Amino acid sequence: MKSSLRNMILSLTGLTVAIGAALAVVNEATADAIKETARRSRIEAMEAILPNFDNDIIATQELSEGLPLYRASFGGEPVGIAIETYSDNGFSGHISIIAGFDNNGKITGYRVLGHQETPGLGAKMGEWFATEPHSVIGSATSLSVKNDGGTIDAITGATITSRAFLDAINNARQALESYKK
Amino acid sequence: MKSLKVIIDGIFRRNPTFVLVLGLCPTLGTTSSAITGMSMGLATLIVLMCSNFTVSALKSIIPDKVRIPAFILLIASFVTIVQMIMQAWLPALNESLGIFIPLIVVNCILLGRAEAFASKNNPWLSVCDGLGIGLGFTLALTIIGSVREILGTGAVFGIQLYSADFGALLFVLAPGAFIVLGLLIAVFNRLKEGR
Repeated sequence: MKSSLRNMILSLTGLTVAIGAALAVVNEATADAIKETARRSRIEAMEAILPNFDNDIIATQELSEGLPLYRASFGGEPVGIAIETYSDNGFSGHISIIAGFDNNGKITGYRVLGHQETPGLGAKMGEWFATEPHSVIGSATSLSVKNDGGTIDAITGATITSRAFLDAINNARQALESYKK
Repeated sequence: MKSLKVIIDGIFRRNPTFVLVLGLCPTLGTTSSAITGMSMGLATLIVLMCSNFTVSALKSIIPDKVRIPAFILLIASFVTIVQMIMQAWLPALNESLGIFIPLIVVNCILLGRAEAFASKNNPWLSVCDGLGIGLGFTLALTIIGSVREILGTGAVFGIQLYSADFGALLFVLAPGAFIVLGLLIAVFNRLKEGR
């Protein structure tokens, strides 16, 4: 087609309108599914890290120190609290974690929700901190790696990731404590 | 017959990674394991087939001077659609590919095929070209990912071949991507000449 100004404006406008409409349709079709998928993956993570609960945990969301906090209860009795936490000090930036605590403030579990850490090194944090002898589960105090005078073995070759991970867990604990006050 | 030749050419004679050496950013970035490499290849394959088809179908109504913006517009919208679908139904995959999905837009394979093939051929052949090039890209990424994963962690597609403790971590990291890619390009070219 001839590249006259009229042709160019018409064809590009027509194309953008058509594409805009197509994207709107797809967005409409997937919006609910995207929300539902995100909700389900949150619930699944919380079921894995908290003691048994039977309430609608997503509805209990509150903010404590800027971190989303969820209260789990079983038959009306509180059984634990899950907190979504993060650190921006990972080896490749942002790490987001959800951590579970029981009524005594002991860590019952955690799940890494998203990260960009190195496969084979930092990416091992999902299992590393859940297995002895470097497990954080059951701990009720602030944590740091051995290099910094703490008690937790850092992931071999991934001290930076380990620091960021424990940082995020400590932030969650802080949010938990200020919520309880 | 011609369409079959176009597909096979895309996989071997015009392999985007090993012969044309295009789209190296996702090639290096997503091949730390075989499965992510393959998923990236397949996502690109889908976008490439759709963009090749529409570019070819619309080539007569797109004025020459604005063809590049029009092609980019088409590619970007297909990438957005693929990403929305992955977010909705394949969240784990979306998580592991991360930023590389939106970056398909600037993958030069797509614009390259739109410009070099789809804008000169009919829609059917263009889809075949998209399929061939896409499969070639998927194949290349899967091979690179497998080699890196086996050498780095001793596993491939979740099957542990030997203890991860003997893996050379270098291969999972960025330098390993360059080394493996370079060696595979050499091997591929040797085989191609041998034929």
